[in-house]
Amino acid sequence: MKTNIYTLIAMLLLSPVVQIPEVAAQTTAGPMDESLSAKTAGAQQHRRGPKRFLLKNGDGAKIDLWKPDLSTLPLTAEHGSLTLPRTGVDNYHALVVEKDWGYLKEALIRYQYMHGKPSGHSTRELTAAEKTTFEIVPEPVPREHQHYRSGQSWNFLLRYRGAPAAHVPVSLETSNGTELSSVSDRNGIVSLRIPDDFSLLEAGERDRRSAEFTVSAETEDAGVVYQTRLSAEYRVNPSRWQSLELGMYVTGVGLLAGGFLGRKAAGHA
Amino acid sequence: MHPLKNLSVIRKLVQISAFLFFVYGGSVTGYYLADKVSGALPALSCAYDMQGADLCTLIPFQHQMDHRLGEAIANGGNMMMGLMPTLITLGTFVVLFVLLNKAFCGWICPLGTFQELLHNLGQKLGLQRSESLDPVLVKRMRPAKWLILLLLVFGFPLLTGIGWVNHDLGDPFCKICPSRILTTLATGDSSQLYIDSASKTTLALSLTADFLFGLMIALSLSVRQPFCRICPMLALHAVFRKLGLLRLMKRATPRCDRCGICAKACPMDITEIHTEMQKKDVTFEDCTLCGRCVEFCPYKDVLQLKYAGFPVFSADPLYFKPRKKAQRNWEESNLPALLRGRQTTVQVKRR
Repeated sequence: MKTNIYTLIAMLLLSPVVQIPEVAAQTTAGPMDESLSAKTAGAQQHRRGPKRFLLKNGDGAKIDLWKPDLSTLPLTAEHGSLTLPRTGVDNYHALVVEKDWGYLKEALIRYQYMHGKPSGHSTRELTAAEKTTFEIVPEPVPREHQHYRSGQSWNFLLRYRGAPAAHVPVSLETSNGTELSSVSDRNGIVSLRIPDDFSLLEAGERDRRSAEFTVSAETEDAGVVYQTRLSAEYRVNPSRWQSLELGMYVTGVGLLAGGFLGRKAAGHA
Repeated sequence: MHPLKNLSVIRKLVQISAFLFFVYGGSVTGYYLADKVSGALPALSCAYDMQGADLCTLIPFQHQMDHRLGEAIANGGNMMMGLMPTLITLGTFVVLFVLLNKAFCGWICPLGTFQELLHNLGQKLGLQRSESLDPVLVKRMRPAKWLILLLLVFGFPLLTGIGWVNHDLGDPFCKICPSRILTTLATGDSSQLYIDSASKTTLALSLTADFLFGLMIALSLSVRQPFCRICPMLALHAVFRKLGLLRLMKRATPRCDRCGICAKACPMDITEIHTEMQKKDVTFEDCTLCGRCVEFCPYKDVLQLKYAGFPVFSADPLYFKPRKKAQRNWEESNLPALLRGRQTTVQVKRR
């Protein structure tokens, strides 16, 4: 039920436009009727160019780019398109979009790795900072140069006014069409397994496709509904074209060869 | 000999502490790369280990060749900007390296420690061991580390960045490095022990990596430091060894001609420690500054470990005699000796 509500009432679309999404949700008037979806397509490796996003229904939204040193850069969407400016420093940045409808406060966060000079700041500082009233924080964010992969389980922290939000229903949706839900524990942590939902995968063949997932949650306080979303990209799990079993066999062959050579060397000595 | 007066025991304690810190210390330093101690450690502490406290300098070098310098060359960009990250990494590496010189290999490197522990296990199991490799083989193997440094750490990554070879050769040394497999396995992560069929290149690299890992484990039981002999980190250290504050110094005497125990004690089989009669600084390119040669030198002050010119450990007959006895005791107390001892006890009881 919650998932359907999110789908109906969400208002912002953030989607990388290395390839502009072929399918984007259509919007209608009024916050409760608007829909959101994040969909991306195509291989996106080694992207060092400017990061661009489509932002739907972003009129009136407050958009900030949080830099690793926790300073913020206000941004404006133009014709629904948002380009992240180069900040000159590397590491994760957080794009935070907030919209206040009075009775409803919505927030969307995306952690984006950017290249540049060493920032000298840990991603811990960025995740620990309170960026919006109700937020979903990756615990942890994939380490620099790592990615979310299908089939992996990751933890997310739900934080409301800086404190863990316990027992809150959480849902995860992917642009490949999978939906799942869970509930945060007493520490505000929810563990979610990113669905292995890429279609037409061929065993042993590398697949560089990526897709988007969105984790969302909602809470209510003093008559105001707070909705929050975290969006990120995930890729096909390389275990599809990697074999641990074969690796163990090859290591075994190496052990045998080493044993033989070792005996030979010892005998020679 | 009291164990804490034995340099090899002290070194082992340092090595094990360093192993624990660099393989599992991420819980202390932090999870993200920015939290790591230096990002350019002069030892094979692997970046693929998510729980590690630091990462080896070879991985940023490969990435910088591929993504910075190579791309700057390919795109006609600013060469200084392309080189700057490498210079920063090199500068960090040198600052650390000056402090300990090649002792990063002999005292800190997790992979070196692992090989030594395996060799100790081989000793305890009573496996037939080779104390010293054939000097001809040792000399033939020496260029391998330079070749690996030039081709796998700098060459192929640079060519990848320029676009002349495929992207799977962006970090080829890491793809074959046994430390990647060892340190990830040590943290319970078996994801690096794979055969990757994504392309012919990844297939060849992953086959090499797993074979090399198995080979290193088995060889370590009977041969001292097998992978260290071809390690590109050893070559990189060799380039900067004249900058290090810690040095191995020799004051040769005519008695050195007839001795040679130092060369036999050397885990890297550097015979030149014995034969070199002119040079005072005998921190040779393969030396790991483990100090075993100094421990086993029977003549006073002939071999010394000096830090910034000050002797910190010197050869001494008063140390040599109990050390030699301790070594003999260590080697004789192995599994076959234990089994023989029990057999003898049983036979005596039967009589």
